[in-house]
Amino acid sequence: MKNLLEVEDLRVEYRGRPIVGGVSFSLGKGESLGLAGESGCGKTTTALSLMKMLPDGLKQSGGITLRPEGLEEAINIGKRTEAGMQVVRWRHVSLVFQGAMNSLDPVKHIDSQIAEVIRLHEKGVSSGEVSDRIADLLTTVGLTPALGKRYPHQLSGGQRQRVMIALALACRPSLVVADEPTTALDVVNQAQVLELLERLREELGLSLILISHDLGVLAETCDRIAVMYAGRIVETGTVEAVFSNPQHPYTKRLLDSLPVIGGERGLAPPIPGAPPDPGNPPKGCSFHPRCPYSTDRCLIEPEAREIAAGHVAACHFSPWASWPELESSGLAVES
Amino acid sequence: MTWSGAFSLLVGSWRGRFGLAIIGLAVFVSIFGTLLAPYDPEASSLQVLQPPSFDHIMGTTESGADVFSQILVGTRVSVLVGFAAAFISAVLGSTVGLASGYYGGWTDRFLDALENWFLVIPTLPLMIVLARLLDPSLTVLIAVIGLTSWAGTGRIVRAQVLTLRERAFVERARALGAGDTYIIRRHILPNTLPLIFANTVLIIAVAILSEAALSFLGLGDPTRISWGTMLENAFNSGAPSAGAWWYVIPPGLAITLLVLAVSLIGFLFEEFINPRLQKDSGEPAAADELAIPLVQKES
Amino acid sequence: MSGRWLAGKVAAALLTLLFVILFNFFLFRVMGDPTTQLARLPRSTPEEIEKLQASYGLDKPLIGQFTDYAGDTARFDLGTSQRSRRPVWDEIVDALPWTLILVGTGTLIATLLGSWMGVIAATRRGQKTDDGLLGFSLFTYASPEYWIGIILILLFAVWIPILPSGLQVTPGVEFSSVFAEVLDVAEHLILPATAMTLMLLGQYFLIMRSSMVDVLTEDFITVKRATGQRWDRVVRKHAVPNALLPLVTLSAIQFGSVVGGAITIETVFSWPGLGELTFTAINDKDFPVLQGTFLIFSFGVILANLLADILYFYLDPRVKAT
Repeated sequence: MKNLLEVEDLRVEYRGRPIVGGVSFSLGKGESLGLAGESGCGKTTTALSLMKMLPDGLKQSGGITLRPEGLEEAINIGKRTEAGMQVVRWRHVSLVFQGAMNSLDPVKHIDSQIAEVIRLHEKGVSSGEVSDRIADLLTTVGLTPALGKRYPHQLSGGQRQRVMIALALACRPSLVVADEPTTALDVVNQAQVLELLERLREELGLSLILISHDLGVLAETCDRIAVMYAGRIVETGTVEAVFSNPQHPYTKRLLDSLPVIGGERGLAPPIPGAPPDPGNPPKGCSFHPRCPYSTDRCLIEPEAREIAAGHVAACHFSPWASWPELESSGLAVES
Repeated sequence: MTWSGAFSLLVGSWRGRFGLAIIGLAVFVSIFGTLLAPYDPEASSLQVLQPPSFDHIMGTTESGADVFSQILVGTRVSVLVGFAAAFISAVLGSTVGLASGYYGGWTDRFLDALENWFLVIPTLPLMIVLARLLDPSLTVLIAVIGLTSWAGTGRIVRAQVLTLRERAFVERARALGAGDTYIIRRHILPNTLPLIFANTVLIIAVAILSEAALSFLGLGDPTRISWGTMLENAFNSGAPSAGAWWYVIPPGLAITLLVLAVSLIGFLFEEFINPRLQKDSGEPAAADELAIPLVQKES
Repeated sequence: MSGRWLAGKVAAALLTLLFVILFNFFLFRVMGDPTTQLARLPRSTPEEIEKLQASYGLDKPLIGQFTDYAGDTARFDLGTSQRSRRPVWDEIVDALPWTLILVGTGTLIATLLGSWMGVIAATRRGQKTDDGLLGFSLFTYASPEYWIGIILILLFAVWIPILPSGLQVTPGVEFSSVFAEVLDVAEHLILPATAMTLMLLGQYFLIMRSSMVDVLTEDFITVKRATGQRWDRVVRKHAVPNALLPLVTLSAIQFGSVVGGAITIETVFSWPGLGELTFTAINDKDFPVLQGTFLIFSFGVILANLLADILYFYLDPRVKAT
């Protein structure tokens, strides 16, 4: 079976400097992929380039192929024009944006915003059918259809994000890209929205790309995970493999910095230094200036290598049999 | 805003250089204009409403005076009124804004109502009424313009002080027993001055336009030539219908250029203080905005 | 609309108006006692001054004078013009329609044109069109509107004599029909209304441009584009309605400058509105008329602010919630 989405050597440049430097991944039908990484590592840029919606000045190249079910031919997003993308956006790929507060037009009713996208992509739908579908969508995401008569500001943050998800499902796309969908929410709403996404994926057979800086969020919702650093994917594999057996020092440090409930482990020292400017990355492995294990070898760029089946890492020293003990930061958590 | 920062801001863009050049020229002419003028600007002659020639590069007025000399001499009033009125407005506006924002309570309510009132009342009619009640003179013009244009500054300063008042360093100073005067002088004022400064530059432009309008309406200082009174005389003497463009265009163009120069500098300062206003920050908007809280910058 | 909200806004407007009346009273009765103006005339005797003071009610105590004044104002009795000897109210009633025609035409055209230009510039930010429009609007912002008016006269009434240089209607003409008269007035309106439009255009343009620039960076614009809408549709259906909101409030605040422009532009074009009335009152030191026009101008600005608040309330759903 062919994959739903195939991304091959995706590059994004800004004034000749790389923002995303050759990203490749694939996504099967009904699968969910987590994109993790620090701020500025190119996650959002990658997400927007899947829809060819980069701001002016950013140039993208590389192959993006989408094979939605029921479509004879694959959609070659990489080669589509703006007009060609307009029929792909939302019909096949939709987006749940990070700003739950500002993702909806403040001066339009919820209903009319959902109706707008249905009418845009499906000509000749009767208004009765449109309002039935809106009611269905709102019910699906756990809202009462009466909320559709409201304006965005009259809803809570959690309700707004549910509306956003309903909107994303309005044209029954095969792929939903969710960029930090829970970041603006409180803990309770975060959990509920993640649960909702998980449920919808199972019920509707959606494929999902979930972008988050929070590895905990990705661990709960995703099948596979890709860790990005300075515009590249440094490690990718199943959630179990990456979490239990990280093969890149950066992934290792990110995991160490996750708090463990009831854990007696001392909190790992924060990663020293700031993430590099992807436009001007350090020579060789772009993580080496911050890597506690770096040697001269790291001045040469490492190849991405398959460590185990489906588990790929870009580090000269992988596979790591064990991680050398680091000096404790003294920030031990009292138990 | 540091002095060197302000300097590089002004010299670093064509808007800043253009503004500085025009303002510099205007200040120079306002000081030495009487010496530079080729003719006595008020001397009448028989050469009435003559178009530009070698003798009179901008032609002559309805009384045969030299237009170019009048432009040079008239610069002084615009520059003087512009700067002096804006200064009065800045002092008034920042005092009221500081008092209103810092002390709060009834002081704030009263001063805020006063500001609101001045903001709502149409300025030119108010200036006209005040200027007509007093006898027109340069001092009256400066006072009237200064007294009627401070409310905007007051509003902006008040808002800034309200946010500063709650900031940690002010709270700390207060906890350490610092008095109001000390806190205002050491913490509030230094952080408000750039704002006052940018706003005042913009008020200079408004003041220059106001002086010209009042003078055009016959409320200028009758003993002095200004660009506004030149337009008044040109208009009243029928220069437009006589087609005397050389008498009509220079004073208006002079006002426009000076106001443009001052406004450009003012906008530049505003953008500097509030980078959100900048035309193009040059950075892509799609950069990820959320930082991982556990990752710290080395400091 | 919540009645309490409206009542509060109306009360605030009335309070401001009361302050205007109070201010007017102090200004003209205390600071500018009409008899002090008269006393400067060399031949006025103390008896004459006293008689004059009595005729103005100035021999009464201050409070009594104010209640008299406020009562008179409420009855639209604004005194008598010193020049024409007609009631000031009648002069104002005669002039008001002309000012409304001029200000209305100018504001309407400037709002439509200015916001259209603002949208164009904001969607082409940093390009040549944007730079050109910015330069043009900065120039009109910096130049005195009456000077622009004089140049328009020079261009279209003197050099290319196709339009009248002043007045509202050709004097001494018997019009064959109302239509012919309206046409004649319209012809006279073109130049002053153009001057008015040019004066306001820059401000409306700059407001709309920065408002659009703000809205275009909002997340929901990205989302609307992601839904597959064409960019021009996103701009028209989502960006513009949101960007117009600040324009409503800000244009009301700008209304004070409209009034200022009316005075100078009407003077240049001898347009018989409140502005020209003010101008002749300045020259004749006709204080009752000056006081009356100041009151009407202030009332107009207060009313414009109130209307903008109400309009904003209807346009922006977010205000209703608070």
